[in-house]
Amino acid sequence: MKRDVFQAIADPTRRAIIALIALHAMTPNALAEHFDTSRQAVSKHLRILAECELVRQDQKGREIYYSLEIEKMKEIDEWISQYRKIWESRFEQLDTLLAELKHQKTRS
Amino acid sequence: MKPAEVSTPSDQEVLIKRSFDAPADLVWRAYTDPELMRRWLTAMPGWSMPVCEMTTDVGGKYRWRWRDDANGVEFGFTGEMLEVAPHSKIVHTQVYDPGTMGGSMGDGASIITVTFNETDGQTHVTTLIKFASKADRDAAVSTGMTDGMEMSYKQLDEVLEAVKPRTANV
Repeated sequence: MKRDVFQAIADPTRRAIIALIALHAMTPNALAEHFDTSRQAVSKHLRILAECELVRQDQKGREIYYSLEIEKMKEIDEWISQYRKIWESRFEQLDTLLAELKHQKTRS
Repeated sequence: MKPAEVSTPSDQEVLIKRSFDAPADLVWRAYTDPELMRRWLTAMPGWSMPVCEMTTDVGGKYRWRWRDDANGVEFGFTGEMLEVAPHSKIVHTQVYDPGTMGGSMGDGASIITVTFNETDGQTHVTTLIKFASKADRDAAVSTGMTDGMEMSYKQLDEVLEAVKPRTANV
């Protein structure tokens, strides 16, 4: 099944994992210490994030370290700001229009 | 004014909040008078709004259509007014009109609820978009330019906000 990025970030635990591994690469065990859930649950979240290409896995000895795919996050950031711009530019035009209507009202 | 706040109360809903430095009666006019609405409800730079028809009677229909002036591509929304409480609330349906742009936003109509609350001369406006189903929300997101779209990115925004100070140093 193809995962989408909305699914990846819909879960609060996954959002917390992203914030943690953005700081530095971590093993599933180290991550699990931050949550009340089992290591298995953390692994499942990591798998979903990996399917969305939001995390990178590096094997070091017997451990796998997970880190954030910074480039992927930046891509998403640009994507969001594009749409935020449309919405906010509408409201800014509305601000201008309202200022004009207020001005008319005080004059009449 | 502070930029719009966006959240996703459920996987079928998106909520937008924004305050305006004007009393509710003026904001109401800007939301219900087609000529005024056309002046701010733009799609993107370079797009015009050739059709902006609406009535604010319950059961009344509306039709909005935008055009990319560079290539003539059009798309829009149509719907019906379900509830109208002057200066305080509008509820209407919303159906995507693919025009010549194409795309789909699912089969069901979204329900849009806009509320206006005035305090100290400022009006707080909330817009709740409820998609007919989660599948429709996904369809709206993949189509591109819709109100629903920007909203769906909110959770992502939260993540990016948490991550930003760190990624900046990488």
